[in-house]
Amino acid sequence: MPDELKTNNILVVDDSPTMRRMVITSLGSLRLVKSTQAGSGLEAIERLAIGPVDLMVLDLNMPDMHGMEVIDFVRSHQAYRDIPIVVLTTKGDDASRTEALAAGANRYLTKPFDPRQLADIVGSLLKAN
Amino acid sequence: MDTQNPDNRGEFFHQFLDDYYAECDEHLVSIRRSLVTLEDEVDTRTIDRPVLDNLFRSFHTLKGISGMVGLGAAEQLAHHLESYLRELREGSVVLSEPGFEALSAGVSQLEGVINARHHDQPVPSIDEIVERLQAVSSDSAGANSETAPTSAPETAENHAATTTRWQVEFTPTAELAGRGVNVNSVRSRLQEIGNLIRAKPIVKSAGEIAFEFIVATIADKNALASFEADGLTFKPAPVESAPRVKDSQPVSTITPATIVRVDLDRLDELMRIIGELVNSRTRLEDQVAELKRVTPAALWRSLEETSQSMGRQLRDLRESVMRVRMVQIGEIFERMTFVVRDLARESGKKIIVQLSGGETEIDKFLVERMMDPLMHLVRNAVSHGLETVAEREAQGKRSEGLLSLSAMTAGEMIVIKIADDGRGIDRNFVLARATARGLSHGNAEIDDAALLELICTPGFSTRDEADRGSGRGVGMDVVKKATEELGGRMLLATKVGQGTSFTIELPLTLAIAEALIVSVNGQRFAVPQSAVREVLEVESASTKVLENNEIIPYRGKVLPLLRLARVFEMNYKRADSFHVLVIGEETNAMGLAVDRILGQREIVVRAIKDPLAQSKGIAGATELGDRRVVLILDTTALRQLAVTSKH
Repeated sequence: MPDELKTNNILVVDDSPTMRRMVITSLGSLRLVKSTQAGSGLEAIERLAIGPVDLMVLDLNMPDMHGMEVIDFVRSHQAYRDIPIVVLTTKGDDASRTEALAAGANRYLTKPFDPRQLADIVGSLLKAN
Repeated sequence: MDTQNPDNRGEFFHQFLDDYYAECDEHLVSIRRSLVTLEDEVDTRTIDRPVLDNLFRSFHTLKGISGMVGLGAAEQLAHHLESYLRELREGSVVLSEPGFEALSAGVSQLEGVINARHHDQPVPSIDEIVERLQAVSSDSAGANSETAPTSAPETAENHAATTTRWQVEFTPTAELAGRGVNVNSVRSRLQEIGNLIRAKPIVKSAGEIAFEFIVATIADKNALASFEADGLTFKPAPVESAPRVKDSQPVSTITPATIVRVDLDRLDELMRIIGELVNSRTRLEDQVAELKRVTPAALWRSLEETSQSMGRQLRDLRESVMRVRMVQIGEIFERMTFVVRDLARESGKKIIVQLSGGETEIDKFLVERMMDPLMHLVRNAVSHGLETVAEREAQGKRSEGLLSLSAMTAGEMIVIKIADDGRGIDRNFVLARATARGLSHGNAEIDDAALLELICTPGFSTRDEADRGSGRGVGMDVVKKATEELGGRMLLATKVGQGTSFTIELPLTLAIAEALIVSVNGQRFAVPQSAVREVLEVESASTKVLENNEIIPYRGKVLPLLRLARVFEMNYKRADSFHVLVIGEETNAMGLAVDRILGQREIVVRAIKDPLAQSKGIAGATELGDRRVVLILDTTALRQLAVTSKH
């Protein structure tokens, strides 16, 4: 393999399978990106443990473990601290936007989302990293 | 992947519509289930927290995905439902009767909005229902902070002192995940052995991620050995690890299911391929039989055995695929319960719904086709069958009417029964009306089967009585037609003052059926075995002609004959004897006259889609072992042909 280019692993966390497919398809326009998915906060943490994750697209309101708790967990541990997190939540208000950004989310987007905007933001975060 | 045009969001998300409708359906089913639980908690302060959480999450998800596919009405309605749920959860309002009603009306409307879009119909207005929801909320100003759900109180531990609390640690690895051992599977296994109190991620000293579960169980350490094989460690939970601190996770009782959603079309394709395999196998069987004369016995026997076991495996394969298509009928019963409740409230009747056999499985395709007809029977039972409280009490019946919905499997059929203990069907009334409409000639005595036949005649009920309850464009004739189109049949039992029950029998699956292969004038036809009650051999001399109809003596009565050759306008020569297939119910049985019975076969039913090739009396086509196409007879249509040709 000549000059292996690095593939970026994106973890898409949402309890709605339809929403996960929408996100993954939106990110399909990015090059060298591989998506994995998780349906709950706990599953998301397991994905982190098992494989490399270069960026997370994270829903907030989920069973088992709220997205805010996932952010708290990721940010408070050395090994995962630097993983960019894009929060993608349904119709948020300022309180939770502020809360999520303060906890360490890199970007805060609301659903319904624009697929190109999401891809652009994820693309630029990956480049910056 | 550069072909999409992200500017055109509507088009982009259009591709997810099928997923969207499927997921909506799942949420609506789960919402209805939660509402049934919630109904018992009206006006109490002790609302089941996990139920509220699940409802809230379903509305929240519906709001999110509806917004994505651009269904604004559903998005907004789900938003208002979610807001009301939030207030209930925060305890700022108590669930009142009007509140519950607004909630369930909101859910019905939400379903209506989604279905309308699904079927390309105008989306109904949500204004009225939104107002109702706002009226029952405490703050119409809408302090809709999307905060993290506050941690639920720990699951109550109502076990006896014999339970031990274990602290379980699970470290996920790629190798374990490959074996299917992951946080979800561990979690559900722990839930099986006891009461899961907490689940949270931790980071161990070496930096790796692990999960810590606290589980209370009566299982002793030996019983936990199987977990240890998967790398889980157990130790008694320290007392202080029963904290009520903020990070304790609400552990929902809903396990993330390992469910794959599959488009029904893909399963149909799979069934089609299996159908072709069945055909090839039949051909093989014929060829093996031909080889018998020219093959050494030992070799032939082993060839024959292989062919036989392939046949068995094919049947297993077919059954496995069929099982995938099966859904529990309980989902539909729950939907009906919902409708019954609304109708009862509107009409001021009191109704107890009794469900049984909800776990009975039925082909998804059948469910979709039978949904409206079954709903019609339920509506009929509530609107016309069951009496008002006053009427019931006047007759000495208990004030609550009883509606029972049950399902069971019987052999290759599924039997669905919808019964009420209401007023029963008044024969005289039905007869009088049928006579007035020119549908009947006013015979004095009619049995239940004839009664059913009458009320299922198109044009029997008029539009002006098709009220909101039982109308909606579906009449009894449609119910009967749908049942028969699916190869099933409907039965009625009714007694004035005591009640009415409708029984619907449907085949478990449609694609493959047992059939009799018959020949008429050298041409072969397949007749579904489920439609044939009896096969007779008849001497030509014993037939008689009565008013232009051929009849034969049958069980002390006479049986009208229908000559297939005549129906399909083929020449036929009289033989000394011929075969008759008896079809239809006892009261309107009919004999289908054919030349010979060639055998019995498992056939793959294919619909004839080309309207030019469609013909009344033909249900479809199939292929026999020799690759020749054989038409499948539609016995119901044939019977009707015979009846209409009489007049």
